[in-house]
Amino acid sequence: MTKIVIENPKGESLVAELLILYKTFKNINLEDNVEFDLSELNWIHPFLLLPLIAFSKENKKIKCDCKNSEILKYLQMVKFPEGINSVDDFEIMIAKSKTYIPISVLKKEKGVEREKLETLFSQLVYKSLGSMKGANNAVYYPISELVGNIFEHSRKDTGFIFGQYYPKKEYLDICIVDCGRGLKQAYIDEQKKNFDHGQAIEEVLKGNSTKPDKERGYGVRTSKRVVCEALGGQFVLISGDSALISNKSEQQLVSLPGFNWQGVIIAYRIPKPTGPVDIGQYLE
Amino acid sequence: MTKQREKIDIASVLARIISSRDVVATLKEKINNINADQIDLDFSNVEFISRSAAHELLELKEKFKNDLISPKEIFFDKANSDVVDMLRIVAANKAVPKEKEEVKLKKISIRALML
Repeated sequence: MTKIVIENPKGESLVAELLILYKTFKNINLEDNVEFDLSELNWIHPFLLLPLIAFSKENKKIKCDCKNSEILKYLQMVKFPEGINSVDDFEIMIAKSKTYIPISVLKKEKGVEREKLETLFSQLVYKSLGSMKGANNAVYYPISELVGNIFEHSRKDTGFIFGQYYPKKEYLDICIVDCGRGLKQAYIDEQKKNFDHGQAIEEVLKGNSTKPDKERGYGVRTSKRVVCEALGGQFVLISGDSALISNKSEQQLVSLPGFNWQGVIIAYRIPKPTGPVDIGQYLE
Repeated sequence: MTKQREKIDIASVLARIISSRDVVATLKEKINNINADQIDLDFSNVEFISRSAAHELLELKEKFKNDLISPKEIFFDKANSDVVDMLRIVAANKAVPKEKEEVKLKKISIRALML
């Protein structure tokens, strides 16, 4: 068994968290026997926690060990590692604790029940962020589009979503993960286009859907615009061995040598809105 | 012959936030099973609709309208301004699709971020 001691991020940015995710999963395959040791961590963010959960659902051989009592308590509160996959359980959980947003596991076959669970998740996230005019749309839009993509494109029946609001830092972190076919494979399967992972991300950003319908393909592109331009946040998307890092002023396509996420990871950070938010102009 | 008119409460049949395209199939089934040629989709308890779901709903409306055997007219009723705005944005783009802008990306290796 390979033991991986997960380091603390050097700084608080999403990029610092991306580096830790990269170090954690570099040279790890779905078939590997791995133990992730969380004991060194001072805190665990959605961007690391949710991929660990998704990975553990795919690979039953992995173990997570943690001796930090604060983190253990937090993991228990957010329902690590199983998460919540029903409306009833979600309602019970939020009746007990209004501080923590539980890890939600969305199952395609649940249809309307899944949609209602996602609604509860989004409403709780919005409540945690405050009630600024228009902020509801800015919160709901990226969640709804990016989760919807899992069931439209990943060919996987399970999606994972998790978030945490940090009241002192006044920002919200959201992470959305699937272990599906990823963007590169979607373009091969649907359009016979053999892009590498980076090119596939670029095509998604251009708004070129993997589906033939010209009216589609807006979801990721416009969600990123809402997060970065309407809310001044940061947005990261990983598929295979490439990542997009985006903020209001620039975007980078980052190669991740030795790393290969089977599926898509999206993480974004939204600062608490200080004025009314209008997402209309970013929806194209 | 008088036209039959029925109402469907969208928040109860789907959800208060409508995200995914696939759940619109549940609504389609419901409409198919209603013996009426005019259907009011009551959005009064719907908070938000995603762009994708709005697109799927508009497609559904068109499909029922153009059905040769049993056409049905679908109306979006009591929608809040956010839902109306989303439906209008998508409908406008269906009519005249916007040109998608070019993407400017700086390409780097993660090693550059480790420095």
